[in-house]
Amino acid sequence: MSVRVEGRTIRVEGNGPVEDAEPILAALQEDPHRTVDLSQALRLHTASVQVLLALRPAIVGAPSDSFQARHFKLIWLNEER
Amino acid sequence: MDELLEQFLIEGRDLVAEANVALGVLADDPANARAIDSAFRATHTLKGSVGLFDMAPAERILHAAEDLLARARKAGTGLEIGDVPRLVATIDQVDRWIDALERSGALGADAAEVAERLLGNAPEQDAQPAAEAVPEDTASPWLLELQARHPDVLADSAAPLTAFRYAPDGDAFFRGEDPLALVATVPGLEALDLLPAGGAWPSPDDFEPFQCVMLIEGLSTAPAEALALAFRMVPGQVTLLPVEIDLPTTDAEESEGAFTAAATTVLRVEAHRVDRLADTVGELVVATNALALLAERADAVDTPLALGIRAAQADLERAVDAAARAVSAVRLVSLAPALRRLPRLVREIAASLGKQIAFTVTGAQSEVDKQIADGLFEPLLHLIRNAIDHGIEDAAARAAAGKPEAGSLTLAIAREAGDILVSLSDDGGGIDRARIRATAIARGLVSPEAADALSDAGILALIFAPGFSTAAAVTGVSGRGVGMDAVQAAIDRLRGRIEIDSLVGRGTRFTLRLPANAITTRLLVIEVAHDFYAVPFDQIAETVRVSGERLVPLGTGTACVLRERTVPVLSLAELLGSADSGTLPAKLLVTRAGGEPVALRVDGFHERMDAMVRPPSGLLAGMPLVGGTTVMGDGSVMLVLDMAELVA
Repeated sequence: MSVRVEGRTIRVEGNGPVEDAEPILAALQEDPHRTVDLSQALRLHTASVQVLLALRPAIVGAPSDSFQARHFKLIWLNEER
Repeated sequence: MDELLEQFLIEGRDLVAEANVALGVLADDPANARAIDSAFRATHTLKGSVGLFDMAPAERILHAAEDLLARARKAGTGLEIGDVPRLVATIDQVDRWIDALERSGALGADAAEVAERLLGNAPEQDAQPAAEAVPEDTASPWLLELQARHPDVLADSAAPLTAFRYAPDGDAFFRGEDPLALVATVPGLEALDLLPAGGAWPSPDDFEPFQCVMLIEGLSTAPAEALALAFRMVPGQVTLLPVEIDLPTTDAEESEGAFTAAATTVLRVEAHRVDRLADTVGELVVATNALALLAERADAVDTPLALGIRAAQADLERAVDAAARAVSAVRLVSLAPALRRLPRLVREIAASLGKQIAFTVTGAQSEVDKQIADGLFEPLLHLIRNAIDHGIEDAAARAAAGKPEAGSLTLAIAREAGDILVSLSDDGGGIDRARIRATAIARGLVSPEAADALSDAGILALIFAPGFSTAAAVTGVSGRGVGMDAVQAAIDRLRGRIEIDSLVGRGTRFTLRLPANAITTRLLVIEVAHDFYAVPFDQIAETVRVSGERLVPLGTGTACVLRERTVPVLSLAELLGSADSGTLPAKLLVTRAGGEPVALRVDGFHERMDAMVRPPSGLLAGMPLVGGTTVMGDGSVMLVLDMAELVA
């Protein structure tokens, strides 16, 4: 399981298959104030990324994939959160 | 890029070229039945091909052209006056649209209107060549917004950018696609925006996790073709548009240049793989040379062994030689694809200057190394612009000189031994030496005394000096802030030479002499002040030994009479910062690399060799006299001297 919900934190880990989107969405629908921890994620699937963009949770860390680390940081900065 | 489109870009341009050849004949002989047949066939096939793409306006005008040709064919009376220019305008327009299709995947918003104008044969039909370079789509709202979001990227980018908008299908995830993983493969990505497809993200409660609702936009420094390649798996979901950095006007030259490389890379093997192969073969040549040295050393110890090594070396050399020739042959491409856009560009340049030009090309099928084919287009276009702008006189001057109204411009390509000769001749006013001389002195490029010492060729060569431009008024066509020195630099990069012949009142001919094969260079090893250097053979006019009494003082230097001509003699040792040994008889290496013959005194001539010359890098790149380096058989590195720099 690459998405683990631990209290107020949603930990996303590993290679980011498309299936991750559903548990992330469910955990955020349950509690929109949960923080998403991406520090152990290698990369995220587009499906997961659009969940994060639509629900705008607080985010900790960034995926280690260099493309995502570079460009997703820019996206979140652009969102001025 | 979509394979079908790729195929069309090649075939479509072939058909355009075929139609142009036929129309060229018809311009002189409107009743030529074979040319009418040929033009009809090309137009007909072209019409069929454009039908496969979103090119309805092209199909319409080609249909009209086909009709016209079919009528002429049936009646057997030939074309009427006015038909040929109309057909030429049609084919030119289709050619432009093929370019646009390659660049941005669409014809441009004004395509229907342009087609109407052509069909109505309105007088303004062909007067806006520049408009094509600024696709109407630049005004796309999404592109404007994308640009507005990234002013920093636009400001920082020195190169043109390509914008993309990727709208994945809603069910992309179900098909196993990961759009962002695809975007990660886009080369040169500078900016990326992930936007909600419907303008706003769905509310958290309505969010459907496996429905793709994202729109991805971005800016890349890579050309549109490279992006099309990255997105080839999702055709129809991606829009690509060029972003012009120099906003005021689009430089036609730049947009032409941007896809020249793509146009000539018709090798079905990725070109860099062939380059890699060529590099390896070059190294094999070097490795084989090592055996010769080994045989020499073995000779002192064991003669039969040395003989054995020599025999093995000879076998290896033959095989490597064959491999080198085979690789060169793979790299050989016809110049035709690089040149086939020239007739249209000539018409456009001529139209913008209000001149009439009869342009002919011969020998375009000549095959040259890919590097030469890729590098030739731009300097050649520059020379052509220059010839039309400054070479060919205006109609009044031509009439006064008793010349036909249309200026003649001829591009002739021929092989001569290992060289390719590209000559561009015009029947214009020729080059006025006095004016060149005066301008060069006025601009401080040469002192009056130095100018007096220059030969005729030396004076003519001044037009290639940086900062030189004879146009009293800088015109839109030639005055782009780049002078003819850019031509010289481009030809130097290809290891070629430029010769100019010009007769006042009669015309000018520029001849570019370029190596047809570029992999290995023939070198002569010379000895100077106990060091060895290599000199490219193509820079050596001759090598001679002369006795001391033939060296005569001249001014502060030395000279020697060679072939009834006084040639200055320079000490290569001194040029390289060492003391001259002064051995006699003097060994002289005569070069014409700087235009005029100059003899360089060296200490010894050694072996000839074929080797791969690498451009100087690192510290050597800053040394003006070094043209490159080559690896010797024993692994040591030898400097290759650039004679043109030495005697400059």
